[in-house]
Amino acid sequence: MFQEIEKIYYFMKRDIISFSTYKTNMALMVLSALFGALSYAYLGSNASMQSVLQTYHMSLTAYLLIGMAFNTYIGQSLTLVQKTINPWSLEEVLVSPTGLGTFIIGSSAWGFIWSTVVVAIYLAVGSLAFGVVLSINVVGTVLVLGLGIGTLVGFSMIGAGILILIKQGDPVTWLIGMLTSVFGNVLFPPQVMPYQLQIISYFVPQYYFFTCIRLMMTGWSIQMILPEILTLTLMCAIILPLGYLIYSWCLRTARKNGTLSWF
Amino acid sequence: MMSKVAIETHNLTKIFKSTSRSLEIRSFLFHREEPKVVRAVDHLNLEIKRGELFGLLGPNGAGKTTLVKILCTLLPPDEGNACVNGFDVVREQMDVKRSIGALFSVGERGAFWRLSGYRNLEFFSAIYNVPSRRRRERIMEVLELVGLKDKAFEHYQKYSGGMKRKLALARALLPDPPILLLDEPTTGLDVVSSRSLREFIRNDLSRKAGKTVLYTTHYVEEASQICDRICILNKGKLVACDTPDAIKGVIKKDEVVDVRVRAITDAQIDAIKTMEGVVGIGSEMEDSVLGQRRLRLHLESIDSLSVVLDFFFKEKIHLIDLRREEPTLEDAFIELTGTGLGE
Repeated sequence: MFQEIEKIYYFMKRDIISFSTYKTNMALMVLSALFGALSYAYLGSNASMQSVLQTYHMSLTAYLLIGMAFNTYIGQSLTLVQKTINPWSLEEVLVSPTGLGTFIIGSSAWGFIWSTVVVAIYLAVGSLAFGVVLSINVVGTVLVLGLGIGTLVGFSMIGAGILILIKQGDPVTWLIGMLTSVFGNVLFPPQVMPYQLQIISYFVPQYYFFTCIRLMMTGWSIQMILPEILTLTLMCAIILPLGYLIYSWCLRTARKNGTLSWF
Repeated sequence: MMSKVAIETHNLTKIFKSTSRSLEIRSFLFHREEPKVVRAVDHLNLEIKRGELFGLLGPNGAGKTTLVKILCTLLPPDEGNACVNGFDVVREQMDVKRSIGALFSVGERGAFWRLSGYRNLEFFSAIYNVPSRRRRERIMEVLELVGLKDKAFEHYQKYSGGMKRKLALARALLPDPPILLLDEPTTGLDVVSSRSLREFIRNDLSRKAGKTVLYTTHYVEEASQICDRICILNKGKLVACDTPDAIKGVIKKDEVVDVRVRAITDAQIDAIKTMEGVVGIGSEMEDSVLGQRRLRLHLESIDSLSVVLDFFFKEKIHLIDLRREEPTLEDAFIELTGTGLGE
């Protein structure tokens, strides 16, 4: 009996030692729990949310439905480049006559198609089962979606680049994910938070993405939300090329140091 | 006119600055740690002719994989240059990639486990630019070549280790490249699969198809059986480059004595190395429970053996067996590098 308990102890010890070597990952997991608690606490404050939603001209169901549906695109975009860096297939692909752009787009195409299916399911269920009325501005939706995905892919490239160098627990993707859940206007409007926290939202691209996409799905025109769309465009124009530069630099550095397949 | 040289390197050098995984970030942010410098490839000059089956032999850490990775453009060199099929590995990367098929020592991990062998090759044939109208035919051709045609539609995760290795080789053959870079292709294979793969590389790829093959291994016999020429690498440096027979000839003048002993320590082996008349010594643990080791002594003359035997007697080292031997390629390696291949 004692022998078996001792074995369990050594299994656990092995995992604790292994886990503790990934310090960044450990810190990120603890902070994720804290941010998760914060976002669900605000989601629960139904009364204050109802009053704020009057300004968005939609019901709480429509608000949450569109937020949850398009959050799949954000999640897909944010992890898009990381998914391509399986160290073994990365080497196999990099040794083939295939460009980096083709590699990234090719590796993520199915993810976006699947996300589109998921969004369609969300919206269909919302419309048919809960009577959510949608009046989609197709051009505006495609435009906002393109800008949102572009911005998030930029962040994804920064995160993937850092992951290539530190190998485990990418802090950029974590930070963006956390900012999205609390300040991104996904599950609750930032206006329900104290003013000091609301300010942070205005620096988070997802805030503009979710604001614009909700309005585009409920019949607003591009001209009516031009300032928000222009802000998102500016953010995309900065973050996307910056992400590409950082990703290329990290990839070059890892190749130079021979650490590309160290995971 | 096409050059007769398929692969050439001039003063090729690759320096690794650290073994720490996250040192890039830490040194970038804080500039604290002084990185450890390792010359994985050190001023290497090499010339491999077209159609040649060229062996790169060396112990673990000799720089074989680093060289293969430089030649297939995965690693940029720090000094010198390398050309593959006439293209520079830094400036003309796409042309180099179009000229090669590469098999890495962990190549089977680059495949997709939930796809069949055929579907894996279908994906790789697309990214290796195999024309779509030729794709199916080419996939079946390479599957037949490596003996996997019957298992083409089985899931990769059900393949045995040997089958996975063969599929990795099939992947390297897909674009029908003139040059193949095979990094330890028989690693993890049983004796029968290993032999059949070696014969396939020598007879089909090298002799019949006329491909240039760079074949890395740390198995001496493997290299001497199939390669036209062998280059011995040690600590990134080239220590010999010739035909297997010519390399063995380098040490014909030596006396080689194979000795089995019990209860000998590493310090005692080091002491033998420094004795007068001892040119080199290879050591291999045969039975760790009994503490039995096989030593391969390289002596200037047979007279030097008495000094070694006196040492055994004084140090109470138990002598089990002693034999005079013909020098092998492994002996050449010991002579040229001062170490055994397993060290």
